[in-house]
Amino acid sequence: MSDLAFPLDPTPTDWNDAAMQRRIRKRYTAERRFKLLGLAAVSLSAGFLAFLLITMLAKGLGGIDIGFLTGSDATDPAQVGIWGAFKGSLLTMIVTLGIAFPVGVLSAVYLEEYAPRNRWTDIIEVSINNLAAVPSIIFGLLGLAIFLNFMHLPRSAPIVGGLTLALMTMPVIVIAGRNAIKSVPPSIRDAALGIGASRIQVVSHHVLPLALPGILTGTIIGMARALGETAPLLMIGMRAFIASPPGGFTEPATALPVQIFLWSDEVSRGFVEKTSAAIIVLLAFLLAMNGLAIYLRNRFETRW
Amino acid sequence: MTALTIALLLLGLGLAAWLAARAKAMAFARPAAGAARVHSLPAYHGWYVALWAVVPGLIVLAAWSHFSGGLIYQTVIASPEAAALPAFDMQRQAILGEAYALATGGADAAFNPQARALVPVYEGAIAFYFWIGLAAALISAFAGGAFAYSRVSPHFRARTRVERTVMAVLLLASLIAVLTTLGILVSLIFESVRFFSMVSPIEFLFGTSWSPQMAIRADQAGSSGAFGAIPLFWGTIFIGAIIAMIVAIPLGLMSAIYLTQYASPTVRAWMKPALEMLAGVPTVVYGYFAALTVAPAIRDLGLSLGIPASTESALAAGLVMGIMIIPFVSSMADDSIAAVPQAMRDGSLAMGATKSETIKKVLVPAALPGVVGGVLLAVSRAIGETMIVVMAAGLAANLTANPFDSVTTVTTQIVQLLTGDQEFDSPKTLAAFALGLVLFMVTLALNIVALRVVKKYREAYE
Repeated sequence: MSDLAFPLDPTPTDWNDAAMQRRIRKRYTAERRFKLLGLAAVSLSAGFLAFLLITMLAKGLGGIDIGFLTGSDATDPAQVGIWGAFKGSLLTMIVTLGIAFPVGVLSAVYLEEYAPRNRWTDIIEVSINNLAAVPSIIFGLLGLAIFLNFMHLPRSAPIVGGLTLALMTMPVIVIAGRNAIKSVPPSIRDAALGIGASRIQVVSHHVLPLALPGILTGTIIGMARALGETAPLLMIGMRAFIASPPGGFTEPATALPVQIFLWSDEVSRGFVEKTSAAIIVLLAFLLAMNGLAIYLRNRFETRW
Repeated sequence: MTALTIALLLLGLGLAAWLAARAKAMAFARPAAGAARVHSLPAYHGWYVALWAVVPGLIVLAAWSHFSGGLIYQTVIASPEAAALPAFDMQRQAILGEAYALATGGADAAFNPQARALVPVYEGAIAFYFWIGLAAALISAFAGGAFAYSRVSPHFRARTRVERTVMAVLLLASLIAVLTTLGILVSLIFESVRFFSMVSPIEFLFGTSWSPQMAIRADQAGSSGAFGAIPLFWGTIFIGAIIAMIVAIPLGLMSAIYLTQYASPTVRAWMKPALEMLAGVPTVVYGYFAALTVAPAIRDLGLSLGIPASTESALAAGLVMGIMIIPFVSSMADDSIAAVPQAMRDGSLAMGATKSETIKKVLVPAALPGVVGGVLLAVSRAIGETMIVVMAAGLAANLTANPFDSVTTVTTQIVQLLTGDQEFDSPKTLAAFALGLVLFMVTLALNIVALRVVKKYREAYE
């Protein structure tokens, strides 16, 4: 080939040729560069998370003490506490769980086990999948229009916040529940039916207990999302100044994320520390809930 | 809490009915040899009777709690003590409200002496209607329970009936999702129609001036009440679909590629949950972080570059939103790269392509529809996101493409319009619902398109 005056193919084919070596080096450099780029993307994303957490810890850790954990909102940043907002969140979450969990599980059972394949079932499925993707603020508008203006439930109350968040959380539980029920093998249903169980007995005695860890995992993740949600609660007026913890489901209350939002608007410098401290408490709770969900999944979920 | 007392009483009755019926059914549960077979297990008889005892009682209770308030009010108004009340409606309502609070223990002292006189009347009326409600609920519970109890017999098909009820409950539960969707549509459309009867839809959708402050007096200056939403739409697209995506697409895609193709299993096991944590951090935390740390840094950067920068720059909100969106992009990209058939990867590597060449020339083009679907879902998530923009973006409705300038978004304005006093006949409040309707429609369309793209792509490789 080398004695040809005009090589037909400019691509070098000899491995020891300098041009070939250069070409290979170039390709390997590109390979390394690409890999580094990927590593940089991952570290940048994770680094941002670390930066956020460290910033909050550095600013807020000094603000956490017994007074902060047991007090309520005040105008003086040295006096404020989060127990009032936390209790509001707790009451809201009780309502949310009390409605979203039964309704979500029952819908999941119906859709996965009994629903006939027809137009109605399609409508139900499409609306559940769409609800899971609707922006949370739209649920706030729904709560404002239906629960407050139409049904005249008390404003700023945990029951309204809980109802609104329940509608938002329910699709998450339905989707998780359906996946958990789907993963129970059909042989179990066939065996139960074979020894004479009714279709309801098959589900209540066998399928549901086996799917429960998966359903609970999905529920906890949905509840964690609801606990961090702010926008819908702003819409229904859970942003009042609450100087003492709410006593019941119908009393004016605020919630932990809304309290963070309210404090972040304060001009006084002292509130920066308190806002960051409240964020640490909120993040600690979310982390604990997600940890519990992961534990439940690893400990109880059966792989068939 | 009187209704709650009655409800608890009813549940207790239900338990008693369950035990009684089960005991009655137990007596014939194991028939002597040669006798007819029993249809249902004792517990089903128990459930049947308990349902008959509790459900009619609860229906009566619901009706009672709906009507009793009005009836109590009528009784009090008709009483001789109420004749002395002022005729002026608002004053009378205030006194009545105070008396009611006193009678139910909601308040300790009366502000108005007239209210004190009404307290015994209120207490009497409340007690009277409580006993009526209690009696009606108990009678219906006992009647239902007794009827059902009398039917308990070896041949009675209790299980069939109980299971039919369970199925009805299941169907009702799954209809709640449809009702919620309908509720969203009806409430948004209803309020938007009222808004569009005051402001023309053309002006709303294509107008370029947004200042929703309505004039209280006709001669007030600067409060024209302009409702052109184009600056809002632009701000939303600029922050959510342009700046956030410039951050999220490269970072999310490259993270997914690195974690699926290069990372060791240990790195993957730690970094994947860490990235997913980005989606789990509440948005109010991102908003606070953006306002506290990112926005001042961006402003300083802008000033050092000689650009007049706002503290509420679009860049700060978009940047932080982009970070929040990374996990959505990366998990969708992860799934669609994993779905590319192994044979295509092997073929490319066997031809001598390096790993990165395989990724760039084979995997990413093959996974592109899935990635595009993920990006569309991420855009829909970003434009519906509220807290980051409420806390970090501005309120000024600017029509600008300068990322250091302040823009406002649809969600910011919804929050802004609906906080504080709301009057449900002013276009200012109703405009929030019109904006909500637009937001709902756009996110819905994006989701449908995205799911369709992803589905079509999955079918191509199955």
